[in-house]
Amino acid sequence: MDAATLIPTPDQIPVGWGWFQVLLTLTFYLHVLAMDTMLGLVIIAFIHHFSSENKSLPVTREISKKLPYAIALAVNLGIAPLLFVQVLYGHFIYVSSVLMGVFWLSIVLLLIVAYYSAYIYSYRYQSMRAGRMVTSGITMFSLLSIAFFLSNNMTLMLHPESWVRYFEHSDGFLLNLGDPTIIPRYLHFVTSAVAVGGLGISLFYTYRSSRGHEGCTRWIRYGCNWFAGATIVNFALGFWFLGALPEGLIKPVTLVGGLFSLFLIMALITAILAVIAAMRYRPLPAAGLLLATLFFMVLVREFLRVSYLKPWFSPVELTVQPGGWSPFLLFLLSFIAGLILIGWMLKTTLAAAHKKEARS
Amino acid sequence: MNYPVLNLDVFGGGLLIALIAVFHVYIAHFAVGGGLFLVLTEHKGYREQNPAIIEYVRRHAKFFLLVTMVAGSMTGVGIWFTIALLNPGATSVLIHNFVFGWATEWVFFLLEIISIFIYAYTFDSLDRRTHLLMGWIYFGAAWMSLFIINGIIDFMLTPGNWIENHSFWSGFFNPTFWPALFFRTALALIFAGLFGLLTATRIKNPELRHHLVRYCALYLLIPFVLLLGSTWWYKIALPPELRTMIFQLMPEMQPYITGFILFSAVLFLGGLLMAIRLPRCMSCSAAVIMVVIGLLYMGCFEFIREGGRRPYIIRNYMYSNSILKQDLQAVRQQGVLKTAKWSREKRVTRDNRLTTGKTLYNLLCLSCHSIGGPLNDIKPMTKNFTPWGLENMIGAIDRFHPYMPPFAGTRLEAKALAYYIAFGLNGRQDPSEPVAIQPLAEVKIPAFNRETDTYVLLAWTDMGMQAITDASRSWMMLPPGANLHAQLIKRGEIPEVVTENVQISYKIDPAFAHPAAAIEFWQNAPLLYGKKIKPDTGLSGNPLTGTMKAGELDFSADLLPVVPYPAGGGYMPYPDMTLTATDTTGKVLATTKTVIPVATEMGCSTCHGGQWRVDGRAGLSRTTADNILAVHDRLSGTDLKQQAASGRPVLCQQCHGDSRFGLQGNGRQLNMSASIHGFHANFLDPQGADACTACHPAADNGASRSFRGIHHTLELKCTNCHGSLADHALSLLKAEQAAGKKRASVLMENLKPEMVADVAEIIPRQPWVNEPDCLNCHVDFQTPEDDITFNKYTKNEAALFRNRTDASGQLRCSGCHNATHALYPAVNPYGRNLDNRQPLQYQNAPFPIGSNKGCAVCHTVPMDEEMHHPNMLHTFRNQ
Repeated sequence: MDAATLIPTPDQIPVGWGWFQVLLTLTFYLHVLAMDTMLGLVIIAFIHHFSSENKSLPVTREISKKLPYAIALAVNLGIAPLLFVQVLYGHFIYVSSVLMGVFWLSIVLLLIVAYYSAYIYSYRYQSMRAGRMVTSGITMFSLLSIAFFLSNNMTLMLHPESWVRYFEHSDGFLLNLGDPTIIPRYLHFVTSAVAVGGLGISLFYTYRSSRGHEGCTRWIRYGCNWFAGATIVNFALGFWFLGALPEGLIKPVTLVGGLFSLFLIMALITAILAVIAAMRYRPLPAAGLLLATLFFMVLVREFLRVSYLKPWFSPVELTVQPGGWSPFLLFLLSFIAGLILIGWMLKTTLAAAHKKEARS
Repeated sequence: MNYPVLNLDVFGGGLLIALIAVFHVYIAHFAVGGGLFLVLTEHKGYREQNPAIIEYVRRHAKFFLLVTMVAGSMTGVGIWFTIALLNPGATSVLIHNFVFGWATEWVFFLLEIISIFIYAYTFDSLDRRTHLLMGWIYFGAAWMSLFIINGIIDFMLTPGNWIENHSFWSGFFNPTFWPALFFRTALALIFAGLFGLLTATRIKNPELRHHLVRYCALYLLIPFVLLLGSTWWYKIALPPELRTMIFQLMPEMQPYITGFILFSAVLFLGGLLMAIRLPRCMSCSAAVIMVVIGLLYMGCFEFIREGGRRPYIIRNYMYSNSILKQDLQAVRQQGVLKTAKWSREKRVTRDNRLTTGKTLYNLLCLSCHSIGGPLNDIKPMTKNFTPWGLENMIGAIDRFHPYMPPFAGTRLEAKALAYYIAFGLNGRQDPSEPVAIQPLAEVKIPAFNRETDTYVLLAWTDMGMQAITDASRSWMMLPPGANLHAQLIKRGEIPEVVTENVQISYKIDPAFAHPAAAIEFWQNAPLLYGKKIKPDTGLSGNPLTGTMKAGELDFSADLLPVVPYPAGGGYMPYPDMTLTATDTTGKVLATTKTVIPVATEMGCSTCHGGQWRVDGRAGLSRTTADNILAVHDRLSGTDLKQQAASGRPVLCQQCHGDSRFGLQGNGRQLNMSASIHGFHANFLDPQGADACTACHPAADNGASRSFRGIHHTLELKCTNCHGSLADHALSLLKAEQAAGKKRASVLMENLKPEMVADVAEIIPRQPWVNEPDCLNCHVDFQTPEDDITFNKYTKNEAALFRNRTDASGQLRCSGCHNATHALYPAVNPYGRNLDNRQPLQYQNAPFPIGSNKGCAVCHTVPMDEEMHHPNMLHTFRNQ
């Protein structure tokens, strides 16, 4: 069976595809930051509880407090890229979602479990001991499972040639395990989350330190060590991932291949510099370099998707339904106004917190 | 057609979306109303300078956060995931058309998250004004989320002008946008009160508890006015056809409509109850119950709204099974399997019926019907159908079920789908072999001596094919009642039809002499016909053995209660009747035999469930009969099944007039023939002559095979004389339409004539009066040039074949040719010459009496004049 005949006909889009590509890239970048922080923090907390008989450390206490916010934010920031990816690639991702429907749907359940478990970890932290490992473990394993299913879906959608398996298994239990990139890709993402989580700890204590708190240095170093270690491991995983890509998929002489290679090299450079900064316990420069690395890697990921789908589809082929500009404008205005309002709320809240802190 | 279908089986039928959506929508409304509740209650605390109230708000805010942020937000994500799995096509339309609406909603959701976190955790750090402002920001963002989602959800129900212009704004501000917004806002406030009660009733301080419980109860009572007004507005904003369908044509919606009304009252009264001072344990329990009722309330509304969209997922644009309305005809022409991208088999064959049927089920049905699941389970809904029956139902599924999408496939695909459901899922089969019939060992021909016998006795029934219904405890349409006729001819140079000074007696085969032992007609007759009838006698009082009544030309015995059930058991649709003519002294002048054709082989069970009542081949079972009443009740809003169950069987002609039995009906409903043919033609018409034999006992492989005359031997079908079922029905319906009966137009709407180009060309007719005439084809009694007739009917009852006479005005046509459908020479399945005994008796050949120039049957001198009808003095053509 010719897999090309299985690809659904896409719907029209309201404005040019480039806008959606920009929005997708941008919002995915925000999501990946929040998601990495969330996952990285819970992994670090769990490993700590697992390896130190559930002793409480200031860092795990802080993680327990922040985890529910991180989950809420990561989920919310995941909505927008999921929306925009459907606009550009809906006819691929809907198919892969159906093929792995049971796993895909289980994400909702896993998310609720992870979230409530995180709340228990947060609210009952002081009164628990073994429970710390259990609750942080439940959250971590739930989120790792979600990440695994997401990795599967995001790669299954790129492989229409493997979709014919549906005709033997239409019960939603298909995954993309036959893809040699799936394991290195998954590990690459998870390890980057650990790195981001580690640097997040460093940044938090750097901020605390700037507010005059004592005893922060240890935790700044602690976070930097996690970041540097995880990123070094991730170099190896990244090369494994790169090596596992199908031969000939990336041709540096083409525009897409060239850009892929360029941003990958830039990401490598900024990542190396970030590791160096972290090893020198300088979290702020490391954070800047990490943000750049992540941004480059998000671009690399987009170009990789374009390369995979090249034989089947390009967003350029999408047709535009006229009249989409006014709602687009509405969104942009809401977005800008929303960001301003969020900025004001955070600023006001932080100021009040500082004021309270100063009073006490 | 575009996407693969997740094979959900028991989880199909919208169960997943119902579970996630109802829960999410409930919490999501609470998330809106609860925001206002928080800030207003905080205001109240400050206004009353009551720190205990502020403490309550703080605790409630934490509870609110946990419920709305975790369960609410995550199930919201869940809805996205679920709809994309269950209906990717529709999801894609919603995403691509409203992407910036969704994106804007996402911004408000982000605002909600940040503002509610700040609100819940900054009671101590923010000043009052700023803290309240955070609460107001949350409520504003939450209500704006509702504003946006409301536009998109109601777009699916009433897309308005979007259908024409595909404009974002036309779709968003659709005809039900504003009433739905007010309606949902009222719901949100009520739910805020419900959840407020949940926490307020747990306050330990009795005074504070009572104070806040009464305060929360106000949220149930005050928005109720807004709810009532917006419900009314919402209802009238619906397009009229949608309103009719939801509130009149969908009995499935009734429980939800009733539930919504009932729970509205319960919540209002609950609000009043909670305002009364109750002990803590009681108020706590009541609050929990009311929160559960709130969920059911939301569920009822969502089911009505979702159900109201049917048969569309986006009204007037995309059907529930993802087929675009504009593509329907193209899909029908090409076939679903060929059109669907995700179908491996592209063609139905005999060998792949089950697999293609399953594929078709997944593509067309699974989005709404589970297999063995708790929601819209296809199995019980179709359990009454055999594959053949279901095929017909599927082909016209939308005609009397406007909430079902029209079947988009070819006839072969309907067959495969029906086979998969009826056989594959329900294990029902159509008979694959003809019914085995054991013919009589011997057909005895009564004696007749051509040289010495003086009289010829001819006997026949006025209908060669006759059915009765034998489930009279449930309903009655065709009572037992065969009309027997006879003519006595005195042979001679000029033969004479004798009716005076002679007596003709009849005697049924003793095996059939006690029909009251076989059917329950006599027990139920008083309830059906308002009179008690002596067992084994007919409606006119005639027994099965008796004397015929003399008329001007012939003798008759009306409404003889013959049934096809012999005393020893089994089914025999041709009971034997012996007739004897005697003179005034009792001397036997002539004797002959005829069959009384009577069948109970109405194939209702093919579509209405149950089994044959007798011997696996005939008879209406009570189950089948009751199921038919249930369908009647469902489609016509009657309660006949209940009536029958309470011991009052239903006489069809009580409402549907029937000139055959001289019953007027109620004058408002269609006559019996128009109604029953008109309704069933909508389903069965594509089956050609098989449509007729689905109900009439004329199938070649059936247990009766009552179409057995010469026309059958010549391979004519029912449709040769009666037209297709649609033609037949249309002719009856047009007469009823002209008589001002609206239902006729409804039944005619989808019927297309076959014999003529247009419905306008169909000539209206009355049943049992205007029937096809033999002379339409046998013009002037000559060899027919055509074997199809339609639209040309007998003018009145006198012109019917069974009432007509020859040119001399003395002999009944049926006397020499036998009854319709059994014209000589007939081939009876229970004995080849069972129907031909009289021609064999009198002329030793099975052909019409007097054929092959056999005038000597009656005439004692040679005849050379065609005095009975032209073209009769020839050798019989079809020997």
